Amino acid sequence: MPEPSTQVSYSRPVPEAGGAAQAAPEVVDAVFDIADLNFWYGANRALRDVSLRIGRQEITALIGPSGCGKTTFLRCLNRMNDLLPDTRIEGRLDFDGEPLYRPGVQAIEIRRRIGMVFQKPNPFPKSIYDNVAIAPKVNGMKVNLDDLVEESLSRAALWNEVKDKLKQSAFSLSGGQQQRLCIARTIAVKPEVILMDEPCSALDPLATIRIEELMTELKSDYTIVIVTHNMQQAARVSDRTAFFTVEDHPEGRSGVLVESGPTHKIFTAPSDQRTDDYITGRFG
Amino acid sequence: MSLKRRLTDRIFWVVCGVAFLLIAAPSISVLVSVFHQAVPALGWQLFSHRTNAKATGLQNAILGSLILLGGVLVVAGSVGVAAGIYLAEYATGRTEKLLRFFSEILAGMPSIVIGYIAYLTLVVQFHWGYSLLAAVIALSALVLPYIVKTTEVALRQVPTAIREAGAGLGMPRTATLTRMLLPTALPGIVSGLIVALAISTGELAPLLFTAGFTDTNPKLQLLHQQVPYLTNVIYTDISLPGSRAHATAAAAGLLSLLLLVILITAGRLVARRARRQTARMSL
Repeated sequence: MPEPSTQVSYSRPVPEAGGAAQAAPEVVDAVFDIADLNFWYGANRALRDVSLRIGRQEITALIGPSGCGKTTFLRCLNRMNDLLPDTRIEGRLDFDGEPLYRPGVQAIEIRRRIGMVFQKPNPFPKSIYDNVAIAPKVNGMKVNLDDLVEESLSRAALWNEVKDKLKQSAFSLSGGQQQRLCIARTIAVKPEVILMDEPCSALDPLATIRIEELMTELKSDYTIVIVTHNMQQAARVSDRTAFFTVEDHPEGRSGVLVESGPTHKIFTAPSDQRTDDYITGRFG
Repeated sequence: MSLKRRLTDRIFWVVCGVAFLLIAAPSISVLVSVFHQAVPALGWQLFSHRTNAKATGLQNAILGSLILLGGVLVVAGSVGVAAGIYLAEYATGRTEKLLRFFSEILAGMPSIVIGYIAYLTLVVQFHWGYSLLAAVIALSALVLPYIVKTTEVALRQVPTAIREAGAGLGMPRTATLTRMLLPTALPGIVSGLIVALAISTGELAPLLFTAGFTDTNPKLQLLHQQVPYLTNVIYTDISLPGSRAHATAAAAGLLSLLLLVILITAGRLVARRARRQTARMSL
């Protein structure tokens, strides 16, 4: 009996007609405009000359082998890397036409506009209600919290499952529900962009499908950037795909962006041989 | 089961039993002998009468010990928890190393040295005399490193994911600290505080130089007023002639042990809650 495999070897994942096929060849309205971005962890150059435009209300997937810098890149976009000691960033990274790393820009303010969902569901050790309400409360948003909680949970397709147990601990939920709670919590802060770092890697296939459906629904209001190891996922949900890889340089290994474009094109007619090798499963 | 396996099993159990006895016997024998010697002095008069030549009362010493513990909780508790938070969340580079260095020195310092230094500076130099404040500061210096360490460890055990979640939502660092990290770390911090109190309960050396003693009930006066406490009664009465003095010393010892058992049990309960909470979070 053949072993079940999560990755189809030597065949292209086929993008679904819905989103990907309609993406224009070039990004017209860019939320992020990134040029020649370099990033260092200490002496280690993790990103080398990355240039990418990320379109408004589109889903952009970042794919590539382990260590290619896609998560590092994602965490540059909301200045999460600021939390790490001994890091350095150079190059252009404009968000809505403004340099994200200009002195005087508050990282905290940025992260309210650019939310993040993490690899492992990480609800706060609090009730379901508090998980959604706490950040708006702390951040001083002038809103009716009850309404905001219901709205956010509904938007994250979780309301019907939790409306009768809002006071229960968030840990009483399943992994997939916890991840949707984390998405609800992110939405509650009313961000413009949602960054997702392999949001389904800790979830089973059914929970994964629910998150993917949710992303497609959220696209009408938010710009979404998702890091994924799962190429089928990138093909299913994203409008555009950026393929990163690792390059060996004299001073060490660095992540580089090989190519980016409409998902349909990247998966059917990539212009770089390395992309083709990766998506067909010959490499990575 | 083969004979050899049965034999090995039996030997193992015997070794375990002996080890258990070696550990348990001293504490049990101390408890039994202290209780035995305290019997003549046991009674309500321990709580209703004060220490003096005629009665076997301990009221003033019990009150004094409790006040000292309260003082340690306030002084060492606030300073220690604050330092622990600073080390776990904010300190970097040289300040971190320096703070850690001094904390370790303090942790290794013999309690009698701490008492003597407190005597030279607070009691003599500052003219505080034997006093509540001098005693509380000396005791606090003794247990401070312990509180710093447990607070720091409790905060570091909070998963990074929670810190990142707070940051990812644009919550200010202090808000993440007070609303997420501290409540999660609280059981660990509290059990550290309780153990610090348990250590304070049994201490004598730092107090000999700083607290003094009186046969009157302690006043809540910080300076120039001596403070009676239980371990002093043990130390003094044991060296006095007469069975009544010895019984009083034993009773004071028994009460200290009782307080210790209560504190340790409370600490255990809180620590168990902490473990359960951490286990749930790292699903």
